[in-house]
Amino acid sequence: MNNEALRIENLHLSYKGLAGTTFSKPRALDYFDKNCDIDKELICGANLILKRGETLCIGGPSGQGKSALLRVIAGLARPSAGRLYYFGEHIPAERQTALEIAKRQVGLVFQNGALISNLRVRDNIALPLRYHKKGSPKEIEEKINMAMDLMRVRDCATMFPHQLSVGMQKRVAIARSWAMDPELLLMDEPTAGLDNYNRRNLLPLIDNMRTLFKTSIIIITHDLMIAKELNCNLVFLYNKTLTEPHSFDYWQNADTAISRELFRDLRNSG
Amino acid sequence: MTMELEQTKEQEKLTTCGRAFHKLGLFLMKRSFGQQVGLFLRAISSIFSESRSFKTDSRNIILQTFFTGVEIFPVLFVVATLFGAIVIVEIMTMMGKVGFSDVVGSLMVVVIIRELGPILTAFLIAGRSGSSLTTYVGSMVIDSEVDALATMGVDPIRYLVMPGLIGGTIATFIMTMIFSGSAIGAGYLVIKTLIVITGNALNLQLTWDYLTTEILKALSMTDFIFVVIKPIVFGCIITTNACYQAMNIPRDIRQVPKATGKSVIKSFFYIVCADVVLSMFYFLDYVNEISKII
Repeated sequence: MNNEALRIENLHLSYKGLAGTTFSKPRALDYFDKNCDIDKELICGANLILKRGETLCIGGPSGQGKSALLRVIAGLARPSAGRLYYFGEHIPAERQTALEIAKRQVGLVFQNGALISNLRVRDNIALPLRYHKKGSPKEIEEKINMAMDLMRVRDCATMFPHQLSVGMQKRVAIARSWAMDPELLLMDEPTAGLDNYNRRNLLPLIDNMRTLFKTSIIIITHDLMIAKELNCNLVFLYNKTLTEPHSFDYWQNADTAISRELFRDLRNSG
Repeated sequence: MTMELEQTKEQEKLTTCGRAFHKLGLFLMKRSFGQQVGLFLRAISSIFSESRSFKTDSRNIILQTFFTGVEIFPVLFVVATLFGAIVIVEIMTMMGKVGFSDVVGSLMVVVIIRELGPILTAFLIAGRSGSSLTTYVGSMVIDSEVDALATMGVDPIRYLVMPGLIGGTIATFIMTMIFSGSAIGAGYLVIKTLIVITGNALNLQLTWDYLTTEILKALSMTDFIFVVIKPIVFGCIITTNACYQAMNIPRDIRQVPKATGKSVIKSFFYIVCADVVLSMFYFLDYVNEISKII
């Protein structure tokens, strides 16, 4: 069995590839479009390997394309060049859609939660399970309850997303992704907008997913302390490419431009 | 560049005929119309996908039918009644004056049942339900809800477009029937009330028996077929166009009202075009009848 959850080889992403998803337009069409120039590139030649069961934090200054990279991995944006392997399997560019990648048990937690606004919390978590018929109605109910208990959102099961706080929405979104038993979970800024109490509660939950369920996790974050608290490797998207993965301590003491820039406050505070 | 090379190699494997179809397909798929046809076909084919569930699908379709049809009913009923009353009065007075009283039924069939009934219903549904559908799906696109569906493996076309398409089409069909029925039935009642109030100032000799007999006499088999086909075609056009405009909204909230307006205007345009195409079959019918006489 291949030990890699994700491999990215020489990935290039232009702003054009990032612009929205058009479900009605065949994705392969873009490659025939002669007007589709390789315009200004957001990511240029990024490489990454994530092992099964590993957690990796991706940091970097704002506007470098971290969330865009996550969208590419989830199949929501089109790379202009490069190859992506999911659990050892290469998916050709014309088939690299979110629906195709979701079949490989890849989940994504959006920065804003992206809960379906006209469904209650319980139905939001149930939606993918019922759609994919993941078990009998009783098994699905059990799974929903388990996910809600794990993320401590059982109290708001009958509420609509607009009635929840940002933190609650995020926890529901994680519960929804977790319920699908993802083998690779992508998280965009999971701690952004959370107070210290909710942040402290959320990190052990993420850690549980890694240790108990052997889920491979990629976390996009500005909160670099996550890497320290989860004891995982950290890479930076900087100057249009990804750095080598290293531990939090390595980066904190390294004499590189990116670590000097991003760890300045942490170093000053001792 | 590598991808372009791979695609060029793939094309070289095709025969001349295959390449021609390939180019035609690409030409069509680059146009908004071709993409809408593609979306329509994908929505229809998604009915048979592995994730089909009779219970969930029927619930979603019924909800969409309710959303499209029931909420527009009061406006539609009033418009149909007034429209029917005007048409009946105009036809009865004008035809009587010029001595063509025997074509009253035929004219009512043409105006109410065949042409303006389905078109006005479709316009009302496009303006009210089509625009709502664009706003609803468009907001979901802006809030990344559609992306979230796709990343969970839930096909947005199956989850959002298909119920809208089927439910919207069923509602358009039912509403067209109601429009025609109300235009004739309620229109007749309005005129009768006017006759009583004004003491028959217009000198109309209108009875229910006369009206229904004339209309039933004028109805042909082609009318019955097109009474079913037209609303179905218009319903498909309105819902597919509404969803297409919504799905293609760039990530900018200001684009939602723009897309909504575009959805309504384009629906009007496509409905009129489709009506012209469907009317061609009537002309063919007339030509056949005339050739039989000759």
